[in-house]
Formats: sequence, C-alpha cells, structure tokens
Amino acid sequence: MKRVKKALFYLLAIALALQFLIPLVWMILSSFKIDDTIYKDLGTIFAVVPHFPDLTLKSYQELLGYYNIFQNLFNSLIYASITVLAGLIINSIAGYSLARFHFPFKNVVMLFIIALMIVPIEAIILPLFLVVHDMGLINTMAGYLLPFFVNVMNIFLFRQNFMSYPGELIEASKVDGLGEFGSFCRIVVPSSVPMYVTVGILTFLASWNDFLWPVMAISNSGLMPIQVALNAIFSDTYNIFTSHMMAALTMVTIPIVLLFVVFQKYIIDGVVRSGIK
Amino acid sequence: MGFRNRSYKRAEVITAYCFLFCAIVLALLFIVIPIGRAFTYGFTDYYLLKPDDKAFIGLDNFYRIATDEVFLKSFLNTLQFVVLVVPLQLGMALGLAMIVSKKVIGNAFFRTAYFSPAVLSLVVISILWTVMLNPTSGLINEILTGLGLPAQPFLTSTTQAMPTIVFISAWSGCGYQMMIFLAGLTNIDKSLYEAADIDGAGSFKKFVHITLPGLKPITMFLVITTTIQAFKLIVQPMVMTGGGPDYSTMTMLQYIYEYGYRHRNIGYASAITLVFTIFLIAVSMVIKRLFKEEKA
Repeated sequence: MKRVKKALFYLLAIALALQFLIPLVWMILSSFKIDDTIYKDLGTIFAVVPHFPDLTLKSYQELLGYYNIFQNLFNSLIYASITVLAGLIINSIAGYSLARFHFPFKNVVMLFIIALMIVPIEAIILPLFLVVHDMGLINTMAGYLLPFFVNVMNIFLFRQNFMSYPGELIEASKVDGLGEFGSFCRIVVPSSVPMYVTVGILTFLASWNDFLWPVMAISNSGLMPIQVALNAIFSDTYNIFTSHMMAALTMVTIPIVLLFVVFQKYIIDGVVRSGIK
Repeated sequence: MGFRNRSYKRAEVITAYCFLFCAIVLALLFIVIPIGRAFTYGFTDYYLLKPDDKAFIGLDNFYRIATDEVFLKSFLNTLQFVVLVVPLQLGMALGLAMIVSKKVIGNAFFRTAYFSPAVLSLVVISILWTVMLNPTSGLINEILTGLGLPAQPFLTSTTQAMPTIVFISAWSGCGYQMMIFLAGLTNIDKSLYEAADIDGAGSFKKFVHITLPGLKPITMFLVITTTIQAFKLIVQPMVMTGGGPDYSTMTMLQYIYEYGYRHRNIGYASAITLVFTIFLIAVSMVIKRLFKEEKA
C-alpha cells in the first residue's frame, strides 16, 4: 500500500514536471533546428529529446541577419538598469524620509502614498500616455522611463524597513561629522543591502518584461525594448520561420535564466516576502 | 523623544522634503495628473488628432458605455477570465506546494521544474503557446492525436479561446504562488500534525483542519492580488488573438487600449478608464471586507 502510494506520488509529480518543462524544452530545441526538422519531429520523441546530428545554429544566424535583436536586447538592458538605479535612489530616500524625519504634513504625505497604492497603474495607462504625449515625450527615452521611476509600493516597503533601523546609530554617525545624507549613504544603505538587491531585481524583471507601456510609448524600432520587438517580429511577418521565432524567444529568455541562477535567493525572498506581509 | 512632537526643527524639515522631492514630483506628474485627466476628458468628445475641437458633452460617454455591446462583451469576457483563473491558478499553486513540501528524493528538481515558467516573459509565453497551439501544425494537437484524442481548434474558436488563455495564464503564473504557499506551509506548527496523528486523523482531515486554516492569511492575500491582476488581463489576448475571434477574448483594459490608443478616441476611452479604475478599487475593497467578516 505504501509503495503504491509512493509510486503514484512520483507519477503525478513527474507528469506535472513534464507539463511545465516540455514547452520550454521544445522552444530551446526547436531554435537549433530548421523548420523541416521541427515539423518532421513533431509527432516523435525527438520533439523534446535532442538528436544531435539535426541540431544547427542556422536559425540564429538567419534571425540575426534579418533583425537587430542585439540592439533591442541592449535597449531593454539599458532601460531596466536605469529604472532600477533611479527607482532605488528615489524610492529609498523617500521611504527613509518618511521613516526618520518629523515634519509638517507628514501624515498627509503618508495618506497620499497609501491612497496611490490602491490605484491600478495599468488602468490609468491611457491618461498617462496623454500626459507624456502632451509633454512631447512620446518616442523618447525620457518619456518611456520617467513615469516608472517612482513606485509607491517600494516607498512603503523601504519605509517599513528603515523604521526598524536604530536611530542611535545615525545620531552617533552625525557626531562623527556626517550630515543626514552622508549618514544615510554610509551607515543606513550598507546595512540594508539585501533589501536593495531584492527590490532592485524585482524592478529589473518588471521593466524587462513590461509590454503594454512600451507598446504605447515607443514605436521607433531603434528605441524598441525587446518584448515589443518580439511581438513585432511575430505579428509583422506572419510567415516567419518557427525556428527563427524560437531562436528569438530563447535569446530573450537566456539573460533572465542567468539572473535567476545568480539571484535566486533574493527573487524567491522578494516573492515570498510580498506574499507574507 | 516626546518633545519633538510639538516643534519642528527647521533643518530637519528641509532635509525631509529634499529627500521626498523627486518622489512627490514624479508621483504628481505621472499618477495624480493622469487620474485628473481621465476625469476631465471623460466628459468630452476629445479626439486626439483634433485637440482644439473638444467639447464638453456631459454624461453622454457614460450613457454610451451602458449601451455598448462590445464593452459589455469585454466586461463579461474579463469576468469569465477572473472567475476561472483565480481558483485554477491558486488551486494548482497549492497542489504544487503540497508536492514540493514533501521531503522526498527529487524534491529540488520538482520545485525547479514547477517554477521554471517564471523565467519567461508574458510575451514569450504568449508567442510560444500560440505556435504550440496552432490547430494544424502545433505540438499540442500532435500530442493529443498521439494519445488518441481529437485535435482542437483552441485559439481559433470563439468558445475555446478564452479557456485556453485561462489555462496558459494559470500555467505560467502558478509557480510564483507555489513559492508563497510553500513558505506558508513551512510556517505551520509541525506539532499540530503530530497531535493529529496521535488522534488518528487521516490526511484529508489534517488538510482541512490544519493546513487550510494555517494558510488562510496567505490565501487571502493571494486571492486579492490574483483577482486584481486578472482583471487587468491584456498582454495574452493582445499577442495571441488580438481580442478575437469575434471579440471573444477582448478584455476591458484591451478595449481601453483599442479605443484610446489605436482609434485615438480619447473622450470615450477616458470615460471607460474612469469606470474601470473605480470598479477595480471597489472590487479590492469588497474582497478585503469579505475576508474580514469571515475572520470575525
């Protein structure tokens, strides 16, 4: 009885694992084939098991000959990096200010932040587009990036984090001649590195994966981030080779896989923490 | 530090506002002003290409929403998506969390496998599945026919397109929530299970009386966030079906995008934006209230 139970458990667990892995494996393997091989293999085990003589880099070479994928990947990398950097600075000093200082209208500012937290940003994406349009910033990097530097949820998270920081340590550093900003940079930030890494990684992923805002804010192909470029490749030339498409999808996914491998602990921590609070 | 409550120190106030300056300016520009714009434009017939020609038309846009059949359809589609995806995705996430919480050989492999779609962006997921679901030459129909099952039209059918998007969304999203449930499971006091074992409770009883109550705060959080997230569905239908066939996968947010961005019909789309935003805020408040009542 116990053995049967165990066998059933493994059967279920493995079937579920296959269900998640097959699409991924098929995507990667197909990117190394030519279309004829992809469709010949479809009904066979070679759809998801590598058959090395059939694998080639041809689809990557051809794809990169037609489309400037590296430019789009580079754009996305720059956009995400700037958003992370600016977002961390702006949101963390705002959160720090709310956690540490005593000033008039502090309650009003807090209330304002909490009120904005319940506004679903995607829902107001059209009026946001109009505001950026009126500023003449559509199809510019500034217009694309500026609206997403501030993140009220992150301000709130940083505030919660800094609230628990002992004020005596900051006072002591001020005796040593550091100003408020100096003590923040030299004392508070270094002791909150995990928090910064977690928020930074989640911001990076959100920026890298974003689709709706870039579709609206950027139509110039030289400025396009990778997600929009992918969709353009997919829909513009409907007859694109499956192998080329899979090569493009694989190329977009590789940087994220690396990010997960390196920062796994922080990503899981960020996901879990957001769930438990 | 009580004395500080009465008087403000000038230097401190200046520093505080300097630190807040960027955040406040950006939030005003890119969150508060857009909300204001939605309010002012929602009552006009503003067409983006004729900015000088906008007239105040009172509640006309809102009357139009009430009788707009495609809007009603997109609302019902979105509702259908929410009602199906929230239980499916959270149910899958909880099931997967139960599996990987067992300390067995292969545990790390299963966890990685279940979490693996998390590395794919929504656009990648949408394109990959559209190719795999191709009715004539897709991998999925090939597997189905291989198992002796009939091939399906999937995204090309008005009745199957939305359920297909539901499945793909649950497939790609449940890994994250599995991690959250897993953290919740490990936080449940082990001695409760031991006590239940002594009392001779079966595994189903233990699940209902120990596991589920222990996961309640986390479940509440996940139901709220997943529901709100699901109401904002747009990327999958935009990439996979363009809202079709025959508007069967058009969602509310996509309708705003189509009218406001594609057709530049700002007045009407702003009115829908207002309705949609207020609706979402109301939904999250209602769910929170429901959970609170149940707790008390």
